[in-house]
Amino acid sequence: MIKPVLLKVSLVLSFVLLLNVYYAFPQDYERQRQHMVDAQIRGRGINDRATLRAMRAVPRHLYVPADQRAFAYSDRPLPIGYGQTISQPYIVAYMTEIIKPRKDFKVLEIGTGSGYQAAILAEIVDHVYTIEIVEPLGKTAGELLMRKYDNVSVKIADGYYGWEEHAPFDAIVVTAAAEHIPPPLIEQLKDGGRMIIPVGSPFRVQQLMLIEKKGESITSRSLMPVRFVPFTSADN
Amino acid sequence: MLNKAVSAFKSQRLIIALGIFSASIIAFQLILMQLISFMQWYHFAYMIISIAMLGFGAAGTALALYRMQLLRASSWLVPLLMSTSGMFMLISFYLARLPFFQFDVYVLFVERKQFLILAANYLIFFIPFLLGALAIGVLLTKHSDEIGKYYFSNLLGSGAGGGIVVIILNRFFAIDALPLAAIIALSAAVICFERQQMKKLQLSALVAGLVLVIIGFVNPGQMPMSQYKALSRTMLLPEAEIILSKPDIHGRIDVVQSPALRYAPSLSFGFIGDVPVKKNVFSNGEFYGVVPRFMPNETNIHTYTTENLAYITGKRNNVLLPDAATGPAIAHALYNGAQNVHAIIEVKAVKELMKNELAENSSLLFHDDRVQVFFQDSRQFLFAQKGIVYDAIILPRMESFGGSTGLNAITENYTLTVEAFEQMWDKLSDNGVISITSWMDYPPRTTYKIAATLVHTLRNKGIDNPVDHLAAIRSWGTITFMISRQPMQDETIEKIREFCSRMLFDPVLLPGIKAEEREVYNFLEFDDFFNHLDEIVNVEHPEIFDRYPFFIEPATDDKPYFNRFFKPLRFKEIAEKVGSDDLPFLELGYLIVWITLIQGALLAIVLIILPLLRLKSLSKGKIYTIIYFGCLGLGYMFVEIIFIQRFILFFGHPLYAVSAVISTMMVASGAGSLLSGRIKNSVWLARSSTLLITLLILVYSLLMTPLLISTINLPVFMKVVFAFILISLPAFFMGMPFPGGIRLLDQGRKDQIPWAWGINGCMSVIATALATLISVEAGFRVVMVFALLFYFVAFLVARLLASR
Repeated sequence: MIKPVLLKVSLVLSFVLLLNVYYAFPQDYERQRQHMVDAQIRGRGINDRATLRAMRAVPRHLYVPADQRAFAYSDRPLPIGYGQTISQPYIVAYMTEIIKPRKDFKVLEIGTGSGYQAAILAEIVDHVYTIEIVEPLGKTAGELLMRKYDNVSVKIADGYYGWEEHAPFDAIVVTAAAEHIPPPLIEQLKDGGRMIIPVGSPFRVQQLMLIEKKGESITSRSLMPVRFVPFTSADN
Repeated sequence: MLNKAVSAFKSQRLIIALGIFSASIIAFQLILMQLISFMQWYHFAYMIISIAMLGFGAAGTALALYRMQLLRASSWLVPLLMSTSGMFMLISFYLARLPFFQFDVYVLFVERKQFLILAANYLIFFIPFLLGALAIGVLLTKHSDEIGKYYFSNLLGSGAGGGIVVIILNRFFAIDALPLAAIIALSAAVICFERQQMKKLQLSALVAGLVLVIIGFVNPGQMPMSQYKALSRTMLLPEAEIILSKPDIHGRIDVVQSPALRYAPSLSFGFIGDVPVKKNVFSNGEFYGVVPRFMPNETNIHTYTTENLAYITGKRNNVLLPDAATGPAIAHALYNGAQNVHAIIEVKAVKELMKNELAENSSLLFHDDRVQVFFQDSRQFLFAQKGIVYDAIILPRMESFGGSTGLNAITENYTLTVEAFEQMWDKLSDNGVISITSWMDYPPRTTYKIAATLVHTLRNKGIDNPVDHLAAIRSWGTITFMISRQPMQDETIEKIREFCSRMLFDPVLLPGIKAEEREVYNFLEFDDFFNHLDEIVNVEHPEIFDRYPFFIEPATDDKPYFNRFFKPLRFKEIAEKVGSDDLPFLELGYLIVWITLIQGALLAIVLIILPLLRLKSLSKGKIYTIIYFGCLGLGYMFVEIIFIQRFILFFGHPLYAVSAVISTMMVASGAGSLLSGRIKNSVWLARSSTLLITLLILVYSLLMTPLLISTINLPVFMKVVFAFILISLPAFFMGMPFPGGIRLLDQGRKDQIPWAWGINGCMSVIATALATLISVEAGFRVVMVFALLFYFVAFLVARLLASR
């Protein structure tokens, strides 16, 4: 009587174990990543080749906390601690495409977070300068980025001032919402440059805004609502 | 003779203990509401009310099921229950702070386990209320021959507890006040300590309680706050530190400084220079304002925002600033040359901080000769001030940055109703303007509602063509609306156009505006924004109010919920528009009331009704018992909610209204209950009291609002007296139907008494959230009609009960 029960329990346990091994296997991340690009990114109209190539290349699971890796390629933002999130893959791709990145570009990123957006940009442009205000996040992201990229510079500082020594920038990507757009950032944007910024409170519905500088004129364009809401809570 | 004297002394001791203990239970409830508001959001105040009711309902059930056992042990059980309830006031809050039990409202709708954690919190906080309610219930039942005195003491104590806690929370932080509630409970236990039986057990509980109280005072512990609250996130900034904290009845006020804190909401792209670093003020962990400063030679950052609209269109000598928060608008007004600024500050602790500790930081702004600071509710100010006219009335910026999360959906706001705007209009000088700014929200809701409110005000004031009096300009982030007493002149319109061009803003509404002017610098991706706005402004009864999936009609004094946008029947459409995952973040406050209602109702059924099903062989007519006592439970709470909501307008602050209404109702109902004992005919008592209450509600539904408005300017003492009379009249009679009904059941259908308690408790749990939802959807008058119907049905059923 007991034996069949034990057998069933053992089978279930083995299956769960195998499933975990399967998901932990690196090749599977690769497969999930390709699927993510095809279904979530190309499928939603992102066509820029460089962006798609970068999204296929960067292992997103390395930029999320270990306990969130199972969801790394899901169509959702994920918590990275300190009340911050890594944006959903589509938003990262959209923000990358909208600045029309080119090989010779110098891009400034405000809000390094986990470093994923910087890694995507580093795959495409000449140099990425990224600034994070939350020290532990900046340090972790910096170490991770340095392992793979020599065209990324990370600074732990207040993004308000931009990075004057390396200005002007062809594009500025602001990943953290702000209720004003710092004048130094506008100044450090090249003529003809583009800045993408989410407007709205973190963890609420936000609007992506594109700022374009053309001579004396600066225009804004509200693009699309985005959500930076985590699906699970995170430990700091 | 001696025995009689001993018995009388013992009885008096118990009556005093009951009053003191009742005070501790109410104090605990109010302090807990403050604590939860700080750690989470104030909407969970509903949860605490619901849990307290649940505790009382479940205690009634326990008493009904184990009546004999509980009464037999009452002499030592009551002090034991009192001290354990006091202990659990501290233990429950300790448990709720453990990581395992911490829930987070932001992930409530996306992480299912959060509902389990929320339910666990329900149970944790349920324990002290259950134990406390059981102590009270046992005393009331045991001494039913003197029920009047005991019930009166219970209600008087509760009323006093509510009053005392308002004073305490204005001077102490809620976490420091929590052991006070526990020590009051322990004092009650000491007073009714029983020396003859179970002495050791009682003593152990008292000592344990005392130890916990000492620990609570010496080391109250940390208050883990949601990592998504503004204060939590701000504290992650470099060198961020809380430099000042102050208790206030509104909640804990914290002042934070960090070199990364700058404030320039929706600053123009045309601004060149440095945005100054400013200290931030938080109320219960949410951003409240910045500490402003006024330097005549330093450019005021607000002149580079759309909020400058009122000042570029004319000279504004006399300026009124309703709900001026920390006062950045004062500095803005002075910078623009205002000579007489009336600033209304609604939070006392903020006013004190700005006048004292932060006076130097704010360049003595609150001490400037041109500035008069009023600590008052803004609407009260509008009622009170006579004969003063203003060149500009500048309302605070609406909504949080990025739009509404619906957290304020169920909060009454009497400053943003059409009636309030009409009062403001009457206070304008000939060239005066009213200006209001909002963050652009997606999908647009606040913006549409502001436009609708302003146009409605203009039409009510006899302006046939509102467009001539209305202007709106938009930056990349904000939109500012302005209505002017006089039709806009060409010169004014040109000034607005020139300002927009200089600041890279776009005009949205102007007399004679052209379509191509509206999107020169700031482009919108949603096509219908301008069409919708034009319809709201130009059409007297715009169809868009029905067509649009959100509620954008103006708020009125009957439905003062400016931030209510959710249309439950359009749920599917809204979910499609914003995405079902995002919906909770648009309408969080509204959904939380629903959750409270459903969760409370489920738990009421599980904890109150299901145990009663164990009682078999009920006599006939159970349905009438259920209807009668259910209606009383609903009716009582509905009347209480109506009073609270009406008296918020009268007293100008929710907490004063809550305190006055609950305390007065309890005392008056207790007195009614006391007197009901003298009326021998129970049938007559039940029928006449319910009919009288029905008639009184009918009279109140017609006369209460005009009466309150006509007496709103009375001196405070007179207002308190008037409120006491107005509330206690129906409340006095509302104390009678319950004992009347119980006495009816006592005449041969005693087995149904537990059901009477249970149903009454269950309906009370449900009624708070239900009345709020009805009020939000349909207005106060409809809630009043429901209350009237409940008492009328009780009247009809009482007759049926009696005829059997």
